[in-house]
Amino acid sequence: MKTVKYISVLLLAITFLGCEEVIDIDLSTAPPRLVVEASINWDKDTPGNEQFIKLTTTTDYFSNTIPKVSGATVYITPTIDNLVVFDFIEGNEPGIYKCSNFIPVIDQSYTLTIIYNGETYTSTEKLLKTPAIKRIEQYNDAGVLGDDTELRFIYDDTPNETNYYLQQIDDPYKVIPEFGIIEDRFFQNNEMFGLYFSNEFKTGDVVTFTLNGVNQNFFNYMNILLAQTGTNSAGPFSTPTSTIRGNVVNQSNFNNFALGYFRLSERASVSYTIE
Amino acid sequence: MNFKNILFLFILCIFSGTGLFSQEKFTLSGTISDQKNNETLIGVTVVIAELKTGTTTNEYGFYSISLPKGTYTLVISYIGFETITSTIILDKNIRNNVSLKESIQLLNEVVLTDRKIRTEIRKPEMSVNKLTIQEIKQMPVLLGEVDIIKSLLTLPGVTSAGEGQSGFNVRGGGADENLILLDEAIIYNSSHLFGLFSVFNPDAIKDLKLYKGGIPARFGGRLSSVLDIYQKEGNSKDFHMTGGIGLISSRLLAEGPIAKDRGSFLVAGRGSYAHLFLPLFNNDNSAYFYDLNTKLSYKLNDNNNVFISGYFGRDVFSLNNAFVNTYGNSVVNFRWNHLFNEKLFSNMSFIYSDYYYGLTLDFVGFNWDSGIKNYNFKYDFKHYLSNKLKLTYGLNSIYYEFNPGKIEPSGENSSINEEQLPQKYAFEGALYLDAEHQLSEKIIVSYGLRYSMFYRLGEQTLNTYENNQAVVFNETFQIYQSAEPTGTISYKKNETIANFDNWEPRLGISYAFNDEQSIKASYNRMTQYLHLISNTQSPTPLDVWAPSDNFLKPQLLDQFAVGYFRNFKNDAYSLEVESFYKKIQDRVDYIDGANLIANEAIEQVVLNGIGRAYGLEVLFRKNQGKFNGWVAYTLSRSEQKVEGRTTQETGINNGEWYRTGYDKLHDISIVGNYNYNEKWRFGANFSFQSGQPLTLPNGQYEYNGITVPSYGLRNENNLPAYHRLDVSATLTPSKNKGRTWQGEWVFGVYNIYNRMNAASITFQQNKETAVNEATRLSIFGFIPSVTYNFKF
Repeated sequence: MKTVKYISVLLLAITFLGCEEVIDIDLSTAPPRLVVEASINWDKDTPGNEQFIKLTTTTDYFSNTIPKVSGATVYITPTIDNLVVFDFIEGNEPGIYKCSNFIPVIDQSYTLTIIYNGETYTSTEKLLKTPAIKRIEQYNDAGVLGDDTELRFIYDDTPNETNYYLQQIDDPYKVIPEFGIIEDRFFQNNEMFGLYFSNEFKTGDVVTFTLNGVNQNFFNYMNILLAQTGTNSAGPFSTPTSTIRGNVVNQSNFNNFALGYFRLSERASVSYTIE
Repeated sequence: MNFKNILFLFILCIFSGTGLFSQEKFTLSGTISDQKNNETLIGVTVVIAELKTGTTTNEYGFYSISLPKGTYTLVISYIGFETITSTIILDKNIRNNVSLKESIQLLNEVVLTDRKIRTEIRKPEMSVNKLTIQEIKQMPVLLGEVDIIKSLLTLPGVTSAGEGQSGFNVRGGGADENLILLDEAIIYNSSHLFGLFSVFNPDAIKDLKLYKGGIPARFGGRLSSVLDIYQKEGNSKDFHMTGGIGLISSRLLAEGPIAKDRGSFLVAGRGSYAHLFLPLFNNDNSAYFYDLNTKLSYKLNDNNNVFISGYFGRDVFSLNNAFVNTYGNSVVNFRWNHLFNEKLFSNMSFIYSDYYYGLTLDFVGFNWDSGIKNYNFKYDFKHYLSNKLKLTYGLNSIYYEFNPGKIEPSGENSSINEEQLPQKYAFEGALYLDAEHQLSEKIIVSYGLRYSMFYRLGEQTLNTYENNQAVVFNETFQIYQSAEPTGTISYKKNETIANFDNWEPRLGISYAFNDEQSIKASYNRMTQYLHLISNTQSPTPLDVWAPSDNFLKPQLLDQFAVGYFRNFKNDAYSLEVESFYKKIQDRVDYIDGANLIANEAIEQVVLNGIGRAYGLEVLFRKNQGKFNGWVAYTLSRSEQKVEGRTTQETGINNGEWYRTGYDKLHDISIVGNYNYNEKWRFGANFSFQSGQPLTLPNGQYEYNGITVPSYGLRNENNLPAYHRLDVSATLTPSKNKGRTWQGEWVFGVYNIYNRMNAASITFQQNKETAVNEATRLSIFGFIPSVTYNFKF
């Protein structure tokens, strides 16, 4: 249950009285730390051999550019067979390490290795399966005010096991994607859905919905991350903030840990044209 | 510490108290009430002038004092009433019921000097905040809604986490650490509309008292404070109505006799207007609250009184029928006052109270409800052994039923599976004895002991864990995670799952230099067996209560306080200075990312830590004259810490102390009332507080196309300081004179200089421009209001 989201609906009532203003504030900046974005997505019905990993660092909160990390050594090996090596090579784009011969296998375990600044970072995860998106429903009189367009992206829960899903919506009117994280508790073996409301959609707009199966550890990680980035990240109904620890471990210098996450799964996506 | 020795010492003390008096003694006792409506009066001072001794009336208006045979001058005085001085020839036990007359023309300055507000000098009672309903009604308030909890925030030691946040915090304690009693029944949630208003209708309230420390042994079950509120009984002489029409809500109270001078009823209702705050919305939406107070009182004879009282309150939000949210408290109780003899007063209470939370989210397809119910039996005795020794003793037992949540599909098309999270059951019992003992003319001590016990009961099936640890530390990722259960144990109905018991000593001492000044000290230990499962800055209505068990340990508090108390210039001014230190064991905290809602294994996200709070409080009052009011200042700190259980573990916040979300270093309130003439009365209230603790990001990074603020240690920064000035003007039309209809207009302005106080600062990425922004939310700017109050 995404309780926090529902509370923010309630907060509407209070916010009506309140007033929001963007302000200037001085912030201090901690020394930079490596950030690993290693999301291996195997699009259904594709070979899945083209993959990339992004390396950046943390920076000043109000900075407009994110520093890229160049010159790192990046590779993935199937955990059972470390003679097979999928190398990720930095191309023209700094900080983006690409691989064109990756072989995805469901339920297989993989180990990521990154060597940067003389320190070795590793992480091991399993490639998870993802259900297909069955159908899409559109309602035009939805939402709190009854003037929203509601979209439902429906898929079947993977039966008889505990599952977690990462959902992503790309809204043509937003420059950043919208993420949601959900578990199948209360929905076990039933239909599940990604729910999205907007009052900006017009006929012909294209909305993309993306689904990934994830594990519990990532579910917790993303839950904290979304709680700290969303509109509800401060104020009376917010939870305490903290450093969000991912699953990439610095084997050379334990305390100089990396942020970010190494995750592998099938990916189901659909682009829907508003009717 | 050996409690047997303490118990022995305790009994010895009491016997030494009783043994001192072998002289022939008689008892003067009775009930003191308001002449106008027979409403009993709480806390009336009864003084025997010759002996410089005295007592005060209890919660039911009863007093009793035993003295050697003789002739005495009896002085009875109470705020807002005329003082009665009479001569009593005490040669037998005397029953002396007294009716006090309200000081007429309250606004007339001559009579105002008769109002007996003064700081209690001789009694060891300290750390108590008292406000009369009249004082509360005079203070300027948000949107014209008189709010007893908001009024308490103007006294030292009481804060709220921030504007529009629910509950209140006493001496650096959590909002769930306050025992809120309405006619002796527990109220679980004191806020309407997420903390904008409190659930108490001021018209129906007779008296309230907030204990911040030195808490008497008859109270227990919460760590930080006791807010003891009594409803009016109702007028047993004539039928009257009182009401008010405001911008947010309207109120109406009816009271009258059911049997002249013997029985009375009271019904009070308050409701806000629908569509509150939703002016832009269409008619399918509503947001409102209402509450209903009822009471029946009947005097069977001189020695027996019975009361039945009830409270029912709800908040309702309904948005397009897709989102429906209802929550609130209900209370029913029956009480019987019985006087065994002129020295022994008793009250027996049967109380039911509950808190309900319901939510329907039709677009997701579910109904959700949760709550807590309790059945409470109390039997309390007040034993007035002599004018130097008074005992209170009794027992209290509560049976709880917790519903952590039930989810069910809201319609046929819903893909939700129905699930009832296992209900939890518990029993809490306590026995107590408290003595107030005058040792010499200058020294009075109070000493008490409460023995509390708690049984977590079946029926329930619980998880078992390896090494009994439901939370494990992942050393590789340096995070706390929920442990996998290794099995389950099933407990039968009423079988004990876990049990605890604690001795809770309570001590107080006062040393009076003279009638004008004294020093006092107190110590109290409190145990809290119930936990509000909440990881947010301030509690939300959907937070559930959970009982202690083998993982969720009872929280224990020890508090020490010392103070200096003084009245000046014939009670025109008073000063109270107190300092406190408290520490808490087994303070509940949560692992990062803990999901608390619908969690049937709360133990998997809970860590136990410690807490501490300390501070200095100053209250300076001007009690008399056309211009009266007070200045309150609190300097305090409130912190908590959760260390790793082993050296490998990091704990929370790296195992370091961090400030709680309601830590307020400075808190100043200035409240002033000016009675200009019989027609006009003015009030002002200024408050200044350190900003709420806040964690600022120390950087950002990109992940999956969004930027994420990165945070360091918790609550190291503060929001900007909070301050505002409120003013009010009350107009009492002169045509009121000599007619039954009494009307009054209250004009108010909240935050008159329109300070944009930060309720929060959010760090997020703008969805249109992708640029990082710091956004300040201010809740209330300049808000004018007008209310019309009437009485007939």
